Amino acid sequence: MRNVYLYDGSFSSLLYLVVTLLHSSLTPADIKSYEEYQANLLDNAISIKLIEDEIIYKSYLNKLSSKVMHIVYYVYLSSNERKELVIYYFIKNALKYKDEIIYRRNLNCVNEALKLSKYVGSENHKFKGFLRFKELDNGLYYAEVTPNNNIISLLAIHFKDRLRNESFLIKDKKRNIYALKDESKIYYLNDKDIEKLNINLSDNEKDIEELWKTFFKTIAIKERKNKKAQMNFMPKRYWKDMIEMEEEYENSDKR
Amino acid sequence: MDLKEKLIILSDSAKYDASCSSSGSTRKNDKDGIGSAAACGICHSFASDGRCISLLKILMTNCCIFDCKYCINRRSNDVKRAIFTPEEICEITINFYKRNYIEGLFLSSGIIKSPDYTMEKLIETVYLLRNKYHFNGYIHCKAIPGASESLLKKLASLVDRISANIEMPTENGLKLLAPDKDTNKIDKIMKTVKENRNRNFAPAGQSTQMIIGASKETDLDILSKSSSLYNTYNLKRVFYSAYVPVNSDKLLPSIKMPPLVRENRLYQADWLLRYYNFKVNDLLDSNNPNFNILLDPKTDWALRHLEEYPKEINKASYYDLLRVPGIGPTSAKKIVSSRKYFTITFDDLKKMNVSLKKAKYFILCNGKYFAENKSLRKETITTSLLLENKESTDGLKQLSLFE
Ligand code: SF4
Repeated sequence: MRNVYLYDGSFSSLLYLVVTLLHSSLTPADIKSYEEYQANLLDNAISIKLIEDEIIYKSYLNKLSSKVMHIVYYVYLSSNERKELVIYYFIKNALKYKDEIIYRRNLNCVNEALKLSKYVGSENHKFKGFLRFKELDNGLYYAEVTPNNNIISLLAIHFKDRLRNESFLIKDKKRNIYALKDESKIYYLNDKDIEKLNINLSDNEKDIEELWKTFFKTIAIKERKNKKAQMNFMPKRYWKDMIEMEEEYENSDKR
Repeated sequence: MDLKEKLIILSDSAKYDASCSSSGSTRKNDKDGIGSAAACGICHSFASDGRCISLLKILMTNCCIFDCKYCINRRSNDVKRAIFTPEEICEITINFYKRNYIEGLFLSSGIIKSPDYTMEKLIETVYLLRNKYHFNGYIHCKAIPGASESLLKKLASLVDRISANIEMPTENGLKLLAPDKDTNKIDKIMKTVKENRNRNFAPAGQSTQMIIGASKETDLDILSKSSSLYNTYNLKRVFYSAYVPVNSDKLLPSIKMPPLVRENRLYQADWLLRYYNFKVNDLLDSNNPNFNILLDPKTDWALRHLEEYPKEINKASYYDLLRVPGIGPTSAKKIVSSRKYFTITFDDLKKMNVSLKKAKYFILCNGKYFAENKSLRKETITTSLLLENKESTDGLKQLSLFE
């Protein structure tokens, strides 16, 4: 039987579970959130009782540098199905190798952790540019994104600083979760919290979108046309949520 | 004229400026403000020519009292002219910024009435944007050569980046094609910016641009100019803009398409100067004043110095690693920091995402070469690189089409 340990999906309980396993010298075959776990005859699904003593957690987690914790957090945001196991082994080795860990790319868990966290970081960076807000008639700025990784919190923090006086709502269409920024607070919501979302555009929204599409077309130099480069830097999967590419997306085969 | 038509005219005439970056500034938002600048720069879209769109790139006006031969806006051209008011520019910038279309504004202008007058108008616009609209995002503004130093300083204290385009690599080239312009005036701008630069004075530094292929200069002329600009004025970037034939003039070359491959080679060489410790003389000399169109400058250099290869990945110095084709600063740093802890094999390099396509011909991993025969001949490597390398076969196609 494979020992699969379950947790509630939150970052803190994942960390607590990893420490509990390490402290009790238990080796997981896998770690899954309740939500994602699918029961299976070969598995022994375990909801282990987490250690209650805070001092024990601190004795483990305080040994991890902020650099290592940053990587762990980004891996946690990844959509990779092995992410929890990668985190378990990465932390286990980080306790042994300290800060050297990030140079030990010959270890598979290190290599995987660095790749996943880099992917989350670069996707976050891309969406900081590609996300598009629309102004609604109630003054709210509204954006829809479809990221591969769970980066909505990273995006919300970025835009909170930029749009200090505006309220905004970002929807992750893939996960059906929302980040609402109002005043200086960010709230994370899901479909249940948002009974009905009225997306009525403000009066001049269409005009501004039109100006942007105009600019987008005009700024390209036709003698330099290079769709391949455009597609390379801005793959098709981003297009459907980008005002200037919507039309081209609709007319293309949507692979 | 409505706003949309103005935007068409004034972005169409601004598009030939190659500068796009929004990096190098960490302007913070303040309490009532909108926007901030990201140190690493953010691309917001990519146009159908593959170029990044980061800033709202527009001219304040395309009216101009000058008559630069290569420029679409020159006085003697019969084109539709428009002028944005400062408020119009601010409104578009803010509206685009709030929707996250852009990282900020890149404002340039033709010269109306006089350099001073034009500069005053630019200052008025940027001042309004910063102080009435409380915009803390990125602003890159062109300085107008010949305007007074006090105006230049005022403008620089409001923007993140300031630039003056050198346009031609030699004074003669400029005299010939831009008779109203004067190298000294551009030098003066660069000098003032260099001497005064600080957190509140063009914090993201200055850049410039050269037009490639409108005049007779060689790649050696161009790269030597860049190198001296980097050294003298601490420029952040020199941009290269392949000449797009917009005017016909007996002084201009009669080409149909912009020399894009050449432009690309210059960008590659420019990186080698700034991040790879190469000197102009390593790459070009009077016997060999232009880049090889088929191979990137670093590969070309390595093939001319095959006696120094292959390099052992586990021993070579950081700077020697940087000279291996296909290995950049990121990979070189990864290699140097990792090899303290384990001996690097070809497999490890793959894990580290080091691209081996070019590098494999020039390295040993723990004494091993990728092929049986350790001493590959120059011709063999060149041929296999050309066959493997999409970029140069694309280059070939472009060549046969355009030149
Ligand atoms: S100064 Fe020369 S390059 Fe600039 S807009 Fe006028 S004609 Fe064009």
